[in-house]
Amino acid sequence: MTETYQMIVCGVGGQGILTITDVIVMAAQKKGLRVLGSEVHGMAQKGGSVVTNLKLGKELHSPVTPIGSCKVLVGLEQNETLRYMKYLEPEGTVITSKTVLYPISWKKDKNTAQLAREKIEENLAKYKARIMRIDAEGLAVEAGLALTQNIVLLGALSQVKDFPLSADELKEALKLRVPAKYLDQNIKAFELGISTVSNF
Amino acid sequence: MARVEELIANNESRVLCLGNEAIARGALEAGVQVFAAYPGTPSSEASTAIIATASKLGHYAEWSTNEKVAFETAYAASISGVRAMTACKHVGINVLADALFSAAYMGTTGGFVVLVADDPHCFSSQNEQDSRWLGVTAQIPILEPSNPQEAKNFTKLAFDISEKFETIMILRSTTRISHARSDVEFNEFESNFREGEFEKGMRYKCLPAIARANHPKLVAKMDEIKKWIPESGLSIIEGSGNNEFGVITSGISYAYLKDALSLLKKDLPILKLGMIAPLDEKTILEFARDKKNIIFIEEVNPYLEDRICALLLQNNITPKIHGKSSGITKRYHELNSRLVAEALQGIIGGELTSVTEIENTSEENNDFIPFRPPLFCPGCQHRAAFWELSKVVRKNKGIFASDIGCYSLDPWVTDTILCMGGGISMANGFARVITDKPIFAYIGDSTFFHTGLPALANAVYHKANITILVLDNRMTAMTGFQPNPTEVIDIVDVAKSFGVEYVVEFDPYDFENGKKTFEEALKHEGPTVIIMRKVCANEWWRQKRRRGEKIEVYTIDPETCISCGTCLVQYQCPAIHWSLDTNSKGKNYSVIDPSMCTGCSVCSQICPTGAITKAVD
Repeated sequence: MTETYQMIVCGVGGQGILTITDVIVMAAQKKGLRVLGSEVHGMAQKGGSVVTNLKLGKELHSPVTPIGSCKVLVGLEQNETLRYMKYLEPEGTVITSKTVLYPISWKKDKNTAQLAREKIEENLAKYKARIMRIDAEGLAVEAGLALTQNIVLLGALSQVKDFPLSADELKEALKLRVPAKYLDQNIKAFELGISTVSNF
Repeated sequence: MARVEELIANNESRVLCLGNEAIARGALEAGVQVFAAYPGTPSSEASTAIIATASKLGHYAEWSTNEKVAFETAYAASISGVRAMTACKHVGINVLADALFSAAYMGTTGGFVVLVADDPHCFSSQNEQDSRWLGVTAQIPILEPSNPQEAKNFTKLAFDISEKFETIMILRSTTRISHARSDVEFNEFESNFREGEFEKGMRYKCLPAIARANHPKLVAKMDEIKKWIPESGLSIIEGSGNNEFGVITSGISYAYLKDALSLLKKDLPILKLGMIAPLDEKTILEFARDKKNIIFIEEVNPYLEDRICALLLQNNITPKIHGKSSGITKRYHELNSRLVAEALQGIIGGELTSVTEIENTSEENNDFIPFRPPLFCPGCQHRAAFWELSKVVRKNKGIFASDIGCYSLDPWVTDTILCMGGGISMANGFARVITDKPIFAYIGDSTFFHTGLPALANAVYHKANITILVLDNRMTAMTGFQPNPTEVIDIVDVAKSFGVEYVVEFDPYDFENGKKTFEEALKHEGPTVIIMRKVCANEWWRQKRRRGEKIEVYTIDPETCISCGTCLVQYQCPAIHWSLDTNSKGKNYSVIDPSMCTGCSVCSQICPTGAITKAVD
């Protein structure tokens, strides 16, 4: 690949955003690609909005992906997906979990929450991007570990056209990154992620 | 993030790490022998890495009580001939500035490097202070890397330059360098630790007569360094083009510039400065002499622009200037490649893909994207403390001066947050002019030892009628659970030994007791000190989970719940949310997420109907 591949991973603190970012950069490094990314620190435990920017390629300079620049967005929570949609290229690809985590502002105002929740899909659809909505929670439970929702999405990511890392390359990195005792569930989650997008 | 084994491996390898860890590796490769720092985002991971590797590599490293203490500790080691380093965030450098400005006059013999990490855009800071000016005001050479690899290389180089010129060095980073993640080339190293040797004499006494003599020497030294920069390879001229335009930049702005030019498919002559103080005047003048336009790309202050414009004027070079003065970039917040491309497009032309449509769609959606601020963690004792306090403060219409730490996230009662240790002193000030309301100060254990101690002494000395609340969660939680003196010094003993008459300690989860204590404290003439002690819930919970211990979570009975929202709307526990289905009364009820509940019990204490109880297996 000659062109720099830019992407974004977002969600709510604690969802495992940094974990899948780790797997991607480990696989990229193994493949001989340079990696450069930028991440938000300190919010992980506090339920704040978390985003990591990532660039894979040969000649990399700045670690931030500005508006309209990413080929793919991986979102672990739908409101966060919506928040970072503007960083995606007009024809980019979105892999988002259907999960919705209630922010404090919604807890205070149930009506706004209801309206905003109903409108998430409609609002996402306003962008030209290709959107894959995945029942990450359901598939993670099927894999035997609810915490593997991020890995389900990683599996789906491996199937995105032109994504520079193959499923096998990601899976190898995954084996090095996740705790050995939960490896089986993680691999299953990854596979379920792959098979769910073959339906799109 | 890089593992300790990777950070200490003495071989050539390419390692995935944060910019801060690259800086730490640079210091380890340079053979840093003494390291001391106080944590502060975005600098902390550099210190964490150097401290975590100390027992393996044999250097001395500590978390000091504040930046000034850290600086002085490392400085004494460096003037004893060993390599030493300190690290802080931009506002931390204000705390050590007293020592820094005088140490600059005296210089050093062992290499001495100060890492300062600025935070343009205030990702986790109270201002956007630009540390580059220290090169002028304190007359200290500054290196500014533009990516994690350079950050590592420059750290090593900084030690060499420090020793070559017997000068203190500043390594200036920003959030986007410190928290960038990249594959960085590590090199082999040789640690050359030695016994310190302090040369007695007049040099290290900043008495007026000596300082008066040292200052001209410092000015001469800066001139000498200035003349050396062209041969150092730190100033790089690249790109091609005619003499129409030239860009001068440094640090992360260089990275944005490179990406911006590729977006615009343009090429321009660029002068990238690796050392931004003193300025490489020779190279700058050579670069600018034949250019009709000089463009400055830099973040926040017009540091390069103002200084270089003065230099050009002094040398009768008068290109057209494009920078902050002409408004091509803002004097606040961070840049990115798009912003730089837009800035350049107005000057040199070129095509940029339009993002208007994306911006418009995003604008339309804005109202629907919920605000998701960071909150106190589930089980956080600050939340419990503030909940009880808020009632007492509101009832008495009190003024609440808080401080810097996790507790800055308080959504209920905080009136002021200024700086580290500012709460107790501000309460003292309020108490002098507001006498009909109770005045509260709030401070954490780490901040208490950082700069709270002098303020407490002052409050006792001047009999300030204030109530000081110390939340002792046994660690510096906000910046990543670093240890601090609360492990060995009891804050109760400190307050008593200072002469505070009313000192009480209680468990912040114990509401009944808490309410009584706050009200009782207000009956006493201040200063009074109330210490709420409980280990940080987040850390406690994490350790317990790691050990595989059971956590006794709470649960809510859907039928007893009256959907009043006390637990999740008012108390705002992140582990509680509304149910998707309804109970027999047709109402959504509160639900506790067992994977997030820490079993703190507070929701069960505040629930008006007793709907919350310990879950039964």
